[in-house]
Amino acid sequence: MNSTNSRIAVAITVNGTAHELQVPARQTLAECVREELGLTGTHLGCEHGVCGACTVLVDGQAARSCLVLTVQADGATIETVESLANDDTLHAVQQAMVDNHGFQCAFCAPGFLMTIKALIDNQAVLTKATLREELSGNLCRCTGYASILAGAEAVLGLTGESNA
Amino acid sequence: MRETIVGPFAGKFVGHAVRRVEDPRLLTGEGRYVDDVQLSGMLHAAFVRSPHAHAHIRNIEVAAARRSPGVVDIITGAEMETLVHPFIGMLALKGLYDPRFYALSSKRVRHVGDPVAIVIAESRAQAEDAIELVEVSYETIEAVANASDALDSRKPPLWDNRSNVLFDFANTYGEVDAAFAGADRVISHQFKEQRVSNQPMETRGIVVEIDPKSSAITVHAATQSAHMLKWVLALLSDRASIPASIKTLAINRDRVTRFAKSAKAILTAKPELKEPSPMMPAMVKQFRAEPSRFVDLQRAMLGLLAKSDNDRPEVLARDIGGAFGTKGSASREDLAVYAAARKLGRSVKWIEDRNEHLMGGGHSRDEIVDISMAVRNDGTLLGMKVSLTLDQGAYPAFPFGGSMFSQIIRVMFPGPYRVPVMQFNGKVVATNKGTLVAYRGPWAVETFVRERMFDMVARELGITAAEVRLRNIVTMAELPTPMITGPMLDVRMSAHRTLVDAIAIADYDNWPAAQLAARANGKILGLGIATFCEAAPGPPDFFEHSIPGSGALAGIEPAKIVLEADGMVAVITQQVPHGQGHETTLAQVAADQLGIPIEAIRVRYGDTKITPFAMMGTGGSRSAAMAGGVVTFAARELKERIVDIAADLMEASREDIVIEAGNVHVAGVPARGITLADIAVEARRRDQNAAPGEAIRVAQEFDGGEGGWTQATHACWVEVDLETGQVAIPRYVVVEDCGEIINPAIVDGQIRGGIAQGIGQVLYEKITYDDAGQFQTGTFMDYLIPTACEIPDIEIHHIETPSEIEANYRGVGEGGMVVAPAALTNAIENALAHLGVRISEPYLPPSKILELAGVIQTARSTAR
Ligand code: FES
Ligand code: FES
Repeated sequence: MNSTNSRIAVAITVNGTAHELQVPARQTLAECVREELGLTGTHLGCEHGVCGACTVLVDGQAARSCLVLTVQADGATIETVESLANDDTLHAVQQAMVDNHGFQCAFCAPGFLMTIKALIDNQAVLTKATLREELSGNLCRCTGYASILAGAEAVLGLTGESNA
Repeated sequence: MRETIVGPFAGKFVGHAVRRVEDPRLLTGEGRYVDDVQLSGMLHAAFVRSPHAHAHIRNIEVAAARRSPGVVDIITGAEMETLVHPFIGMLALKGLYDPRFYALSSKRVRHVGDPVAIVIAESRAQAEDAIELVEVSYETIEAVANASDALDSRKPPLWDNRSNVLFDFANTYGEVDAAFAGADRVISHQFKEQRVSNQPMETRGIVVEIDPKSSAITVHAATQSAHMLKWVLALLSDRASIPASIKTLAINRDRVTRFAKSAKAILTAKPELKEPSPMMPAMVKQFRAEPSRFVDLQRAMLGLLAKSDNDRPEVLARDIGGAFGTKGSASREDLAVYAAARKLGRSVKWIEDRNEHLMGGGHSRDEIVDISMAVRNDGTLLGMKVSLTLDQGAYPAFPFGGSMFSQIIRVMFPGPYRVPVMQFNGKVVATNKGTLVAYRGPWAVETFVRERMFDMVARELGITAAEVRLRNIVTMAELPTPMITGPMLDVRMSAHRTLVDAIAIADYDNWPAAQLAARANGKILGLGIATFCEAAPGPPDFFEHSIPGSGALAGIEPAKIVLEADGMVAVITQQVPHGQGHETTLAQVAADQLGIPIEAIRVRYGDTKITPFAMMGTGGSRSAAMAGGVVTFAARELKERIVDIAADLMEASREDIVIEAGNVHVAGVPARGITLADIAVEARRRDQNAAPGEAIRVAQEFDGGEGGWTQATHACWVEVDLETGQVAIPRYVVVEDCGEIINPAIVDGQIRGGIAQGIGQVLYEKITYDDAGQFQTGTFMDYLIPTACEIPDIEIHHIETPSEIEANYRGVGEGGMVVAPAALTNAIENALAHLGVRISEPYLPPSKILELAGVIQTARSTAR
């Protein structure tokens, strides 16, 4: 099968490091960061675009890395969950999740964390209700979401408001 | 209503929502889940699976696939039968036929997704490419698509020309006919639960690592029980003939002596195992009826005996992305991947994809229950007749599947109510569907049916749902009292109190008026309640009442606790956490006993090389009581040993030694204290035989002591939109008692997560097969998992029944999922009661709601 042999040159920046890679045309961005770059913090829950566990930031926007081919990301800047913490200092969204027992098995965590980081970075204007909608593209099977929402509300400054 | 989370602090940890120890690792991408294992030179596996529900395999052609780039090997079902032993069910129960089957199918496929060959290639993509090139010729057979097909003797048998009813049993408790004859009313109904699926966000997976130099085998696995997986793989792999194994043993006599020694040690430690097992008569009968079963078992056992240590795997389970029961089995795929790695002498990885996981990764529920309740006109229950049909699909889960669940369903059916007499008939049937596995309360149908039925009885008799429950629930004044099925409801059984509290919190008495007023304003509201209890871990004899003979193996929880040379304390558990936060909760328990901070404790788990042996792993809402208990007692013993040394070092009497925040000192003079590291140095000086890195080691086992129950009442409010069929849940209340709470945030998380799955079951989730057994829910677009928009806020009220019992912790893992389908369905029926609606199945998507309410015509009855 040719697709397995032919490789295509791509240049991507992942978590601040520039990479020049030769990748199979059919390789997904998720496979690229996990296997090629060894960044296994990004998880694959469904590989068909529903669960959101694979969410990374592509040029600052949340994207499902199971649906993006590496070649499509040529020239892009990618952020994965590994980029959040600064040495021993957790990113505010990580700390908020620790403080609220956000996750249980945490398999879904990278997707939620990156989705929420994009909301923070893009200064999204949210209510508790619209936050739920923003996070409805990420599935969690363990928590029933209350703890994740509590963490997200805390880091997004929505704690005071009544549950509109 | 959320717990305030507190940071690690020096004081009492149990009872506080201590931050999770595992979070910094898991939230920074440092977790190590099975798919994160990447080994150099590792190969990848993919399975060729049946597209048919039921078919003979006439031919399988792999030549083209072998030539595909990167393919290293293809093992078909026929070859697999030379590499492994069949799965042989371990339960011997009267009336049970337990089929034997191999890791891959060679002659016949029995469900869509049944694996017929495994392809091993250099990459996963190459393995998946090659699958397409394997040509299998099938000759289809009529499918046994559902339970009614299974009961139809004209349908083809799945197994060996036997009936598709694999297990048929009946238990009578008391004078049932007399009770029914004396009743004012006998009310009957048939209920069903649709097939659903656990669907953890991480699918199944396994990496079998073969050390190229030593050929030692390490199995990296997402499993709920590392030791179970280790021994199943050791038992069923490396097939050798009986003469070959005898020859190996003749050459390696030490292996026989070693076995005899360890058997003797086990029998000395557990003399009850010397008694002939209550399963014996049924087992002998099984062997008589099927001598080849005996031969298969002997061949596997002798093979295990003849294995060198190096031919047995060690299992390593690190972080696991959820399971809810589905990873409590050793799967056919696990064994196939293991066999392939052994054959090739190379490491092999298999990560299941979501489609495979939906098809064959484990389904659950799928029962039909006919129930009759004999009652007095005032609602007093005089007796029940229950008839269960459980559809366990084609291949029974190993080691425990549908036949075991059917027994827990039987034992649990009375719940916390007075049931004076009961008739219970059960059938476990085989159909052309995926394997039925445990899912968060695999017996949960008893709660759904009983709690639905109480509502129906109340409606028939013109009393309230609260009244019928209050009339029949066991009050605390009656305790202790045994359930009619045997297990004891001890003095902490507070289900009655949870019910009374929930009724008060819900302002239940004023509900009919509120409902009517809302309806006058065009709002269709409903309120449902449901009460239950779960064995968490249950009274001491719980397993014996379910499966006589299983208690000795199931009941024991071991743990080790070690003061390490550097002054840290290691808690070593056989639990395999997969979201429950044991690294935090077990550290809290040990920290309080020892008087040290949580940071001074490491919880070690998942590695069969270091963890104590037990088959149960994590599941069954057992770990709070069992692991919490054994860690309490082991830590206490370690403290005694520490105090002995401290008393000597400080020339004080033992009674005067205190340990606070890790400081070991004489009472009143903390400034002159010493550390655990100092104690460790002295302990190592005294014990020249201490293992490297260890100072004091304590090992204990705990049988669960008094055991006990967790109990709860849920109250659920719904608003039903008769335009769209949507159900909103404006309020959801839980009143529960799980004894002393180790970490409230973790307990609440377990409860909320379980309720979310219960809501998912009722409003969204159904595994669907058509009438020909074709699988129809192969993606997350077909099988709908609730999102953050669909799960309401959930209020949790804890009560704790005071008790003198030490380590009075009980589990909460399953309860939310067990009760929620009943509470929510009761609420929906309550909302639609004025339309004459009766609900028999907890699957109520919008179309079904509109159908029930008569807004739309009944669709073609949906396939099961
Ligand atoms: S893995 Fe990408 S959305 Fe599920
Ligand atoms: S925490 Fe397990 S899937 Fe979200």
